[in-house]
Amino acid sequence: MSKKRSFSKYIDSIITHLILIIVSIFFLFPCLWLVLASFSKSGSIYSYDGFFPKEFSLNSFKTLFTDVGLYNYPEWFKNTLLISVFTCLLSTFLVIATAYAMSRFKFKARKPIMKTTLILGMFPSFMGMIAVYLLMTQFNLINSHWGLILIYSAGAPMGYLTQKGFFDTISISIDEAAKIDGATNFQIFLKINLPLSKPIIVYTALTSFTWPWSDFILPKLLLKEKDLYTVAVGLMNLGETEFSRFAAGSVFIAVPIVILYFFLTKFMVNGMMAGAVKG
Amino acid sequence: MASLRVNKLSKQAISSCFLMGLGQLLHKQYIKGFLYLAIEVGAIYFFVQYGFDNIRNFITLGTQKADPWLGVKGDNSIIMLIMGIFTLLAILFFFVIYIGNIKDAQKTSDRVSRGLEPLLFEDEIKEFLDEKFYKTVLFLPIVGVCVFNIIPIIFMIFIAFTNYGDSIVPPELVDWVGFDNFKKLLSLSEFSSSFLKILVWNVIWAVLSTFINYFAGLGLALLYNKECVKPKALWKAFPILAYAIPGFITLLAFKFMFSYGGPINQLIVNAGNSPIGFLDIDAKWMARLIGLVVNMWISTPTIMLLASGILSNIDKSYYEAAIIDGASKFKQFTKITLPFVLFSTLPVLISQFVGNFNNFGIFYFLRGGLYMDGYFLASDTDLLINWLYNLSIDNNYYSIGAAISLVIFTITSIISLIVYVKSPSYKQEDTYK
Repeated sequence: MSKKRSFSKYIDSIITHLILIIVSIFFLFPCLWLVLASFSKSGSIYSYDGFFPKEFSLNSFKTLFTDVGLYNYPEWFKNTLLISVFTCLLSTFLVIATAYAMSRFKFKARKPIMKTTLILGMFPSFMGMIAVYLLMTQFNLINSHWGLILIYSAGAPMGYLTQKGFFDTISISIDEAAKIDGATNFQIFLKINLPLSKPIIVYTALTSFTWPWSDFILPKLLLKEKDLYTVAVGLMNLGETEFSRFAAGSVFIAVPIVILYFFLTKFMVNGMMAGAVKG
Repeated sequence: MASLRVNKLSKQAISSCFLMGLGQLLHKQYIKGFLYLAIEVGAIYFFVQYGFDNIRNFITLGTQKADPWLGVKGDNSIIMLIMGIFTLLAILFFFVIYIGNIKDAQKTSDRVSRGLEPLLFEDEIKEFLDEKFYKTVLFLPIVGVCVFNIIPIIFMIFIAFTNYGDSIVPPELVDWVGFDNFKKLLSLSEFSSSFLKILVWNVIWAVLSTFINYFAGLGLALLYNKECVKPKALWKAFPILAYAIPGFITLLAFKFMFSYGGPINQLIVNAGNSPIGFLDIDAKWMARLIGLVVNMWISTPTIMLLASGILSNIDKSYYEAAIIDGASKFKQFTKITLPFVLFSTLPVLISQFVGNFNNFGIFYFLRGGLYMDGYFLASDTDLLINWLYNLSIDNNYYSIGAAISLVIFTITSIISLIVYVKSPSYKQEDTYK
């Protein structure tokens, strides 16, 4: 009996590992293909041998940063970094402020505000973007990085629910004790709750950094000059003959994000869960 | 807080009704009183000078067409529409302040009737760091959301009821057309046949891709949850890798992979066959299938991560009881695991459905800009959101685009509404404190 069971366990383990390998290849293969392509000696996808380049070199990375006549990758990278950093700073501030107010204060407009954000969230995000595009063209505000930063940051407070969920879990008994000692709400926020909420601030900062880092719709709509492009828009313009350059550019901006995600997977999942469950 | 019942209003509050700030001045709150007064004067000046014109222009959307021959500057209907929205919001804003002014005077009167002194201006400022701290904190976010989210949405809603777009863009005059755009989408016109076809495919896509991704993700989570899988972190790293790569890179890479000169076609050619246009105009279900697979590659890891978290929360004693009762592995799965996971991930499932319904990226990158016979400025893989983009951004059909946005809004809001009403976490929003 026990022999039979261990045998079926053995079979089960083999099948499981077989599936595991297939799944892993399914996910790894396109990434591997892209990474290898970035080290290809020739730039065009036509001169590859099937999936993989014939010869390897660091050429693509070199041209990526030096050959800036048509495709100014360093400039794109600088733009992306600038937009992401400022969006990160502004929207972290706005989101944390909103979430804190919505979690800690019971004011009359609270429920209406929550319902309004729910309804606003149901409009296709694209609708607002097209309107912003039309308005910006009307007022000649197109081609500005600050416009982009403002739009990203101004929309950020709508996603306050995850952060509100976090503040809800911080006990209010400390607040009440501080209030009895004569602290104002501002002091309570600054001295008590802010230091306690480091994890959620880090989470907010990261998600609001990666959003503009990998968004393509808004910059595509609002940035019409090549030197103002972000990496996403720039890479979209690379054709098949520039495939290695595309691969190198992609690898270069994906690596920092991938590393971040690997360290913070648990964090992200908890945040996602909270956001999904509460709307 | 003072409630607004006219028969209960104090003398000061009534005087504030007639002239903003008067009540505050009677309470000897001079700075606040003059501030309110200044707001009223400013508002009246604004309405006399611009407001009435703005409202009239908002109703007519311009009457004078530009004529370069005669040097007539002409009306810009879109600017007029925007200024009209601003003016309406300004009126609303003014009324909020006006009501606040009366309430404030009443509140001070109540204080005085309780034998207290009216608050000093500096004390009231200090309140913004204490009792009214939430107002201070929410001010910037609310202004930001109003300017960059609410006004654009209001603008688009209005646009849906005009004929803005196609050849009618400024300097041409735009007009209100009522529900014409919606009629065009539903009744016989070049739009309606495309609209129905795209809507049907959109629903099929949303259902199929959500179903596939959800069960693939759940399957993966169960796979990684098996005891013989070790080390879990290593095996899980592969889907997490896919999860972490920015979406546009993945999508562009897949486009290259399936292109004519791409690696798959090279292998096909090397084997002596002619290349296949996987994503070409006549690809039919091939392109749709590739879309589903690519979307699976992108979304499955997310579901897997969520489901893994949920699986680790299942009480092990259920399984122990099941084993004692002699339930098979399969029975355990269908009777314990699946109901539990389904229940916990229902909101996720629905948000995934809405996300997939509006999944712009997949077909924008894989097949963007392809127009097909039988479709009006769209291809057979385009979802409503892609069509919206083609119409509004690439071809200037703004009003039809806005109408489609409202249709999408209606569909997603109905779905979301059902979920919010059903989801226990929404009903019990305040219980976990």
